[in-house]
Amino acid sequence: MKTCNTDVDGEYRVVRLAGEVDMSWSQQVRAAVLDALKRSDKVAVHLAAVSYIDSSGIAALVEGFQQARGRGQVFVLLEASDAVKAVLRLARLDRVFTLREQLA
Amino acid sequence: MSSTAAASAPGGGISSDFLPVLAEVSQQLAVSVDLEQTLRESVAFITEHMRAEAAAVFMLSADGSTLQCRACVGPVDIHGLEIPAGAGIVGRTVARRACQLVRDARNDPDFSARVDASTGFVTRSVLCTPLTTAQGVIGAIEIINKRDGGLFDDADRNTLRLLAAPTALALNIARMAGELVEKNRIQRELSMARRLQRSLLPRRRRGAYPVRALNLPAQEISGDFYDFFDLPDGRIAFTLGDVAGKGLDAAFLMVRCASLLRWAGKEGLPPGNWLARANDELREAIPPGMFVCAVAGYYDPARREATWASAGFPPLLRIATDGAVQRLPAEGPPLGILAGMHFPEQRCDLVDAALYLFSDGVTDVRDSSGHTLDIDGVEALLTEHAELPLEARLRHLFRELRTLRVTDDITVLGIEGRPAGEQCVFAHDFPAQPGELATMRHGLGEALSAAGVGTELRQALVLAIDEAASNVIRHAYGGPCERPIRLEVWQDGPALRFDLIDRAPSADPDRLRPRDLDECRPGGLGVNIIDATMDAWQLLPEPGGGNRLRMHKQLRPVVI
Repeated sequence: MKTCNTDVDGEYRVVRLAGEVDMSWSQQVRAAVLDALKRSDKVAVHLAAVSYIDSSGIAALVEGFQQARGRGQVFVLLEASDAVKAVLRLARLDRVFTLREQLA
Repeated sequence: MSSTAAASAPGGGISSDFLPVLAEVSQQLAVSVDLEQTLRESVAFITEHMRAEAAAVFMLSADGSTLQCRACVGPVDIHGLEIPAGAGIVGRTVARRACQLVRDARNDPDFSARVDASTGFVTRSVLCTPLTTAQGVIGAIEIINKRDGGLFDDADRNTLRLLAAPTALALNIARMAGELVEKNRIQRELSMARRLQRSLLPRRRRGAYPVRALNLPAQEISGDFYDFFDLPDGRIAFTLGDVAGKGLDAAFLMVRCASLLRWAGKEGLPPGNWLARANDELREAIPPGMFVCAVAGYYDPARREATWASAGFPPLLRIATDGAVQRLPAEGPPLGILAGMHFPEQRCDLVDAALYLFSDGVTDVRDSSGHTLDIDGVEALLTEHAELPLEARLRHLFRELRTLRVTDDITVLGIEGRPAGEQCVFAHDFPAQPGELATMRHGLGEALSAAGVGTELRQALVLAIDEAASNVIRHAYGGPCERPIRLEVWQDGPALRFDLIDRAPSADPDRLRPRDLDECRPGGLGVNIIDATMDAWQLLPEPGGGNRLRMHKQLRPVVI
């Protein structure tokens, strides 16, 4: 169920997550996000298929966001599911991240 | 030519060499798999044998109104031609159930010159004999024009009558085979309809879910339906319906009514309005004479209260744990009879009690002497095993019913309220491994749903408990290990209490201080989430070593 794949869409590297993101594999998510930022100046994390995310998953996204900002890179969250949006709101991060429904 | 000799034998006698012809035709028809082809071959054989120019077999339609040509030989193809049952020489043959010998067709009052006129074929003489079975006349076989220009005679008449017998038999068998194929097709379609119906029923819920239902159709397809589903506010909507009548009509109406009630129920309308809306919709298109008895309502686990409206449905039974029984009869008329009807709202609490809804098939079950079980019998069977869990109790009822004569669809839906006082609604032990968290979350989610917690709050509570458990793994135990974690959820009406217990050394309460949310940094969010979701929480030392994180949440009782 849980998957984390990276592909290229135009100028973006897109990290695609699916399933329940919790502390059992959020380190893997963190590594994938940081790796994408090493390879591209534009990174999107696709979250439509994420049915659950806990604070460790959010932390991986926050780390990616901060690193991108520090280096002038673009970092967006793509098609965040309602489950993800609810947690972002709870942590008051919904206005921090760039949330997009499509890349272009 | 021997056959010509046979046909012209004096006095209408039939020559002995006709017997092999009859045997051949009978044999071909008897072993026929493809009737149309066999008929064609037989007709060709008969045409040839009788030295005719054309021949045709006509069959009466199922309602007897038309005759259709099923096989023909000759210069004009009239296969498929349909004529009114009484028309023409063929029609007369069928109507009079007697062989017709017409020597000069053009002067026969019943002769239809339509085919001749459109084809240029000239009909001179006609011989037509009925095809008769035990069920009466099913058609006719007709031959036209002697090839030598002569006239049909009595010998021809007898020959054709003899050939008609095996033809009639074959047609009859084919008709029965056709009916069998049709029956098989209907059977296949019925089992598809059944699968469709079953797919409309809600899935069985695990754990402490308060609603259970069972359904046993009397036939392939059912006129009964039931449904239950969670509303976002934490209530559980339920319906049970019984379409008057059986068979396909009832089944289709059942499918329609079930989806209609589900559609209207999703809006969380008061039960009376819910049924009124379904009634008005149904009224617009319902087969004459059909109606639906149904109950639609809500159970609120947080308040332990059921509200419903009943449209001509048998009385609901409220049976308390102490054995007290209350009958709650319908206060509204059945659905689909008259638009604009009123369905009064009814309600009862289910503290220490269960509410049962059952279709009249249940009370109509008969014993060997033909007496119906009635509501008293149902009541007795339900109280007999009060100690069993709800679903087992319903299964027990069904087992007992099946020892009697079940004549109608039977459907039962039960709702069980929790006893008064604080109850443990979920307890789960797991080792301090991140991989264990998903199972814990799923079980907790189910339990909260059964406890009447609405979707949004349920998700927030699951997240908060998950964060608390993650903190125990990460901080209290210092990382994943095999040490135990126990989660208990207690409910007293709208009051929820969560206890998360570990065996780690006494925790430093400072690690449970929420961080400043305006500071954007990874990590440390967990406690904020707990803080934002719960009404209150405290960390208690556990006797014998360990910590108990106690969290409280008050459900806002929904106003129905």
